[in-house]
Amino acid sequence: MIWLQALVYFSFTVFVLVVLAKVVKYATMPIHLRWELYPVPHEKGRAEHGGSYFEEADWWKKPRETTLIGELKDMFMEMLFIKRVFEHKRPLWWFTYPFHTGIYLILTWFALVFIGAIFEIAGFPISAASVQQLGFLSWLSPLIYYLTWIVGVLAMALMLIFGLGLLFRRLGDEGMRSYSAPIDYFNLLFIIAVVATGIAAWQYDGDFAVARAFMKSLITFSPLPSISGATILHVTLLSLLFLYLPFTKMTHFFGKYFTYHKVLWEDEPNLRGGEIEKEVKKVLGYRISWSAPHMKPGMTWADEVLKVSPNEIDVWKKEEK
Amino acid sequence: MAKENVKIEDISKPVEQLVKLTLDDLMPLPPPYDKPGEEPELTEPTPDWREKYVTDLDGYIAIDLPWKPKTKEEEEELVRKFLSGLQKLLDKENNWTFLQPLMLSVEYCARCQTCSDACPIYISSGRKEIYRPTYRAEVLRRIIKKYLTPGGKIKAKFTGDIDLNANTIIRLAEDAYRCTLCRRCTQTCPIGVDNGLISHEIRKLFSQEMGIAPKALHELGTVQHLQKGSSTGLTPDGFKDIIEFIEDDIEEKLGRRIKIPVDEKGAEILLIHNAGEYLSWPENPAAFAILFEEAGISWTLSSEQVAYDAVNYGVWYDDVQLARVATKHTEIAAKLEVDKIVVGECGHAHKAISVVADRVLADEYNIPRESCMPILWDIVRKKKINFDPEKNNFPVTLHDPCNMVRLMGVVEPQRKILRELCPQFREMEPHGVYNYCCGGGSGFAIMQSMNFPEWRSAVAARMKFKQTLEAFKDCISPEINKYLCAPCSNCKGAIRDMLDYYNAPEKCSIYYGGLVELMVNAMVDLEEPFIEWEFH
Ligand code: SF4
Ligand code: SF4
Repeated sequence: MIWLQALVYFSFTVFVLVVLAKVVKYATMPIHLRWELYPVPHEKGRAEHGGSYFEEADWWKKPRETTLIGELKDMFMEMLFIKRVFEHKRPLWWFTYPFHTGIYLILTWFALVFIGAIFEIAGFPISAASVQQLGFLSWLSPLIYYLTWIVGVLAMALMLIFGLGLLFRRLGDEGMRSYSAPIDYFNLLFIIAVVATGIAAWQYDGDFAVARAFMKSLITFSPLPSISGATILHVTLLSLLFLYLPFTKMTHFFGKYFTYHKVLWEDEPNLRGGEIEKEVKKVLGYRISWSAPHMKPGMTWADEVLKVSPNEIDVWKKEEK
Repeated sequence: MAKENVKIEDISKPVEQLVKLTLDDLMPLPPPYDKPGEEPELTEPTPDWREKYVTDLDGYIAIDLPWKPKTKEEEEELVRKFLSGLQKLLDKENNWTFLQPLMLSVEYCARCQTCSDACPIYISSGRKEIYRPTYRAEVLRRIIKKYLTPGGKIKAKFTGDIDLNANTIIRLAEDAYRCTLCRRCTQTCPIGVDNGLISHEIRKLFSQEMGIAPKALHELGTVQHLQKGSSTGLTPDGFKDIIEFIEDDIEEKLGRRIKIPVDEKGAEILLIHNAGEYLSWPENPAAFAILFEEAGISWTLSSEQVAYDAVNYGVWYDDVQLARVATKHTEIAAKLEVDKIVVGECGHAHKAISVVADRVLADEYNIPRESCMPILWDIVRKKKINFDPEKNNFPVTLHDPCNMVRLMGVVEPQRKILRELCPQFREMEPHGVYNYCCGGGSGFAIMQSMNFPEWRSAVAARMKFKQTLEAFKDCISPEINKYLCAPCSNCKGAIRDMLDYYNAPEKCSIYYGGLVELMVNAMVDLEEPFIEWEFH
């Protein structure tokens, strides 16, 4: 089954590389004009009412007071509870929240299987019974064993039920339906198919021992254990999903980092002689090729602003024929 | 009533008008406006307008230029120009100003529609699809995917199709002016996608590539501002005359003459007002002068072109014009050798110079810029002037200008003043950073041509009117004078037109005005009330 193993390595590598490339793409975009949106949770003592340092006279003479805790709190509320959907679209939240919890759990399951595999490679088998070789940590093995089971089963159930739920909601909610393209249904169906084949594979691997053995092979680059047809199908689909994911808007898990941290909460002032000012000077040297009558294409931003006299500014007129 | 279901693809349809608004569809208003016949009927565009302008979206005209293509060639030319502009919008050098936020919003929307119900225009209109926050965004997204990415034409079948023709373009341009850029939708998006920004970027594409923008914003707005000194057309001489008139007026009210400092080099503060104040509400700059003089603040106005008008309409539709105006403002401040620029009661001027244009200024142009609100609060807090709140013993509520509050974070100082000086102050709901736009945002307040004001008052300002009626519901009777405090020139303009449209001064005695007027009205030193309760 060398092709399957190769496919797993390949798709995982592509996933990591493409996600990285996208992160780099966004991270290296030029500085943009400020466009923050309040409340900004790191404004110390002001975030509660949505205030900013502009509420203070002579703010530029005073040290800025920010709080990382405030920002982290808002981040985690959004990441773990999808707070904004809870507050503004509760009916959808009942579906999307359990579904996303399922995703978090399945990621946890992968981590547990990985840890289990490492234990087994180190010579400590994972099983329901405690492992004497581990001494006072002998309870670790059964803990991993049961946790893997509980987390895995729960994740599959949540993703299947609420994945289907999301599909029906998309069809049922007028606003969502008219904005959905075939791809939106395809994405959901794809995930549901991966979960469904996962459940099928689980029928042949009740305690995930095969999953751990599979992981072991992957880690040690050794041949795969013998696996069921359902597992082959499942792993194939899952690999394809990993190949496909980074090219879709489902990468919003990192997009969200940028929208909040680099746009909506980004309120760093441009102080005389500071870092921001340096960046600003750089981008003011970029050239414009906009061609409206009030533009002078070919000039830099700085020159457009400083060297174009007001009387040279032209406006749109209906061409006479 | 059957609801027409406008789909994304419909924007390119060859129909005369995509959507027709009727009074029945609009969001109901509270008493005394809950009965039929309490508000004006909606009108149809004239055949002449239909011929000349773009009435193809909803019958209303924001872009008052005769730019509708007439021949096949003109249509093709329009599509070509649109695509070349779109390319520049996605280009690092041409659009460094918003590239990152734009790309993120184009890429990551999950179409979950969590943002829809946050939009006052979408809700007020009775949920018309073309006003849904995601509508324009989805149109733009599909155009980018289909026409500007490799294999897009094939992929479009799968990712969402759209036809790019002249109809699509003229309707998209109009639709970008059915959003006030209030960004209330953005506050609710779990992913941080910004549909207000998308409207802003669409406007920019049309302005920066083709010079297409409402005249009030561009030709008579930023261009006139830079060429003549003010978007109101006010000249330096006219400005000086008004200052004299204001000094006379203050003398009458205060019983002594104040010399308003103009062009005073080395003052601590350069105070800049929206020039609309001098022409429509001179009592506002007058109140500022009284407060600043009485509190012993070192300040000056400027009579130099551009600097006596704080507005910067560029912030709504054009980054280059934004940078030109902002740089002019700071250049004049530098010449006057002031410590800082302080913006009077004008929301977008606040945001433009302090937030958005913060990153087009460098070196000598990078002068500290501040809101007037904390300074006004300091006057009250430090008791620099004697106030008697009993003089303000009438119902007052506060409007939060989006640009100053949600988009800049100046939230508390103004309410602290009102809590201190207005015994009957009550908040409207929702308030603070979650308040609704006045309906005049993003330039709507000053766009007065053809039937646009009707749309603004009936749809865009409808939520504000509802909130206002609800805030005053315990005292709605016309016997009681009520004060809607709007510390922003453009909001005041929109609110004036809104109250007038619904005949609210007469029906409910709801008046409006700024914050400093309330402060001066409460001054112990003033014998006669400063607020005159007349609608203007
Ligand atoms: S902008 Fe945000 S809230 Fe609105 S549909 Fe897109 S993802 Fe959902
Ligand atoms: S920015 Fe405001 S007006 Fe525009 S779509 Fe969003 S909520 Fe509506």
